[in-house]
Amino acid sequence: MTRKHRRLVVLISCLFGLGAGVGLTLTALSDNVVFFVAPSDLASKPPRAGRSFRIGGLVEPGSVSQIRQDGKPVMQFRVTDGKAAATVYYAGVLPDLFREGQGVVVLGMLRPDGDIAASEVLAKHDETYMPPEVSDALKKAGQWAPAAPPPAKPAMDFRPATPVPAKP
Amino acid sequence: MKFPPAIAPRPGHILHRFANPGRFLRLASVVQPYLTGIALVLVGIGLGWGLFIAPGDRFQHDAMRIIYIHVPAAWLASSGYFGLAICSILSLVWRHKLADLAAAEISPVGAAITALALVTGSIWGKPMWGAWWVWDARLTSVLVLFFLYLGHIALVRAFDDPERGQRAGAILALVGVVNLPIIKFSVDWWNTLHQPASITLSGSASMDPGILWPLLLSAAGFSLGFAALVMARLRAAVMEWRIRGLLLTRTREAG
Amino acid sequence: MTHLPYIVAAYGLTALVIGGLVFSTWRRLRTARARLVALDPRK
Repeated sequence: MTRKHRRLVVLISCLFGLGAGVGLTLTALSDNVVFFVAPSDLASKPPRAGRSFRIGGLVEPGSVSQIRQDGKPVMQFRVTDGKAAATVYYAGVLPDLFREGQGVVVLGMLRPDGDIAASEVLAKHDETYMPPEVSDALKKAGQWAPAAPPPAKPAMDFRPATPVPAKP
Repeated sequence: MKFPPAIAPRPGHILHRFANPGRFLRLASVVQPYLTGIALVLVGIGLGWGLFIAPGDRFQHDAMRIIYIHVPAAWLASSGYFGLAICSILSLVWRHKLADLAAAEISPVGAAITALALVTGSIWGKPMWGAWWVWDARLTSVLVLFFLYLGHIALVRAFDDPERGQRAGAILALVGVVNLPIIKFSVDWWNTLHQPASITLSGSASMDPGILWPLLLSAAGFSLGFAALVMARLRAAVMEWRIRGLLLTRTREAG
Repeated sequence: MTHLPYIVAAYGLTALVIGGLVFSTWRRLRTARARLVALDPRK
């Protein structure tokens, strides 16, 4: 391979690499940057029929139940962002963190009746790390109420779909 | 199009004009053992404390102990790239030999630590989120950072003339700097599965002190370890550069 | 459910990667130093 040849190969591979990098970023910068929408966005911006979308929110306390559909066990729960809620049906394995009041991101499709048939449920944990004793003590002191219905700060973790400025 | 012939390092001139690599070698051989030692001690204390003494999270229990390597690795992935960018500016604008060599040594270490951040994050994500990988803004932008490191590694070593490779690598590194704010603010700007920062400069760490302290110790240790590794590799690179120069003088004198 | 396998995997992988990096760096430094001394014994 001559020197000129190698330079050509290097140049092309660099362009390819940079293109891939920028392409990935741009893909992420389009609508897909928003990993999920909130339940209250569902009414104003309904997803196209037959298209999968992700919805994020807290599992509404008291809404989780197991039902049977076509003889198979299916989990039914509601995902809320404090303003609106959507009912989700899911037949797969739930993540360990799944519980009432937990943040979740659900991938699914809209059913004709407006409920969501989920194909994937991911748990979204927040940025707070606390040992159980501390959270128990705080709960006893009444200073901290996680997942209390309705959430004191309605789902702060779930920001609106439009970009918001970073915290000051 | 005509390309200038490959410029071999001119040992006699460059070595005397840029005394800095020599001064670096002397200074670095003194600093190296201390840097390495302190890094090892801090990482040992941080990880030992985090694994065996620190409490588990109320929801995540023991799985969150991965934080003691994931978070330092992720911080270093970004700050290492920042160091690479500074070296690139030094080498492009001031043509500093040591910066050229340093940039070429930062990127392999940076790529390794970025890979570590991605993989440990994945191992943490599977049991907690329920997925090894998702294409959210934070994960995607860190993956792009990894590709930038790989591109720099390949580019710097791809030319016959090392200076040409260093120049091209510096340009690539500087183009990639746009990615750093995207990584940092992705979790604030857009909905992501990844949670926002727990530790902010404004001081309100949403983290129990029993978890925060080992994390900070571990992060400090990893950072010093990163510096120690880059320093050792840079020493080797300076020596190899000198060897090339000496060999070249010999062949010239012989011929 | 225990998460021990995940923790072990994460820490083991870290030890492996960093260990490999340290070892290769140490070997490279040793080789370079030896060659330099052989070429230029004044040092």
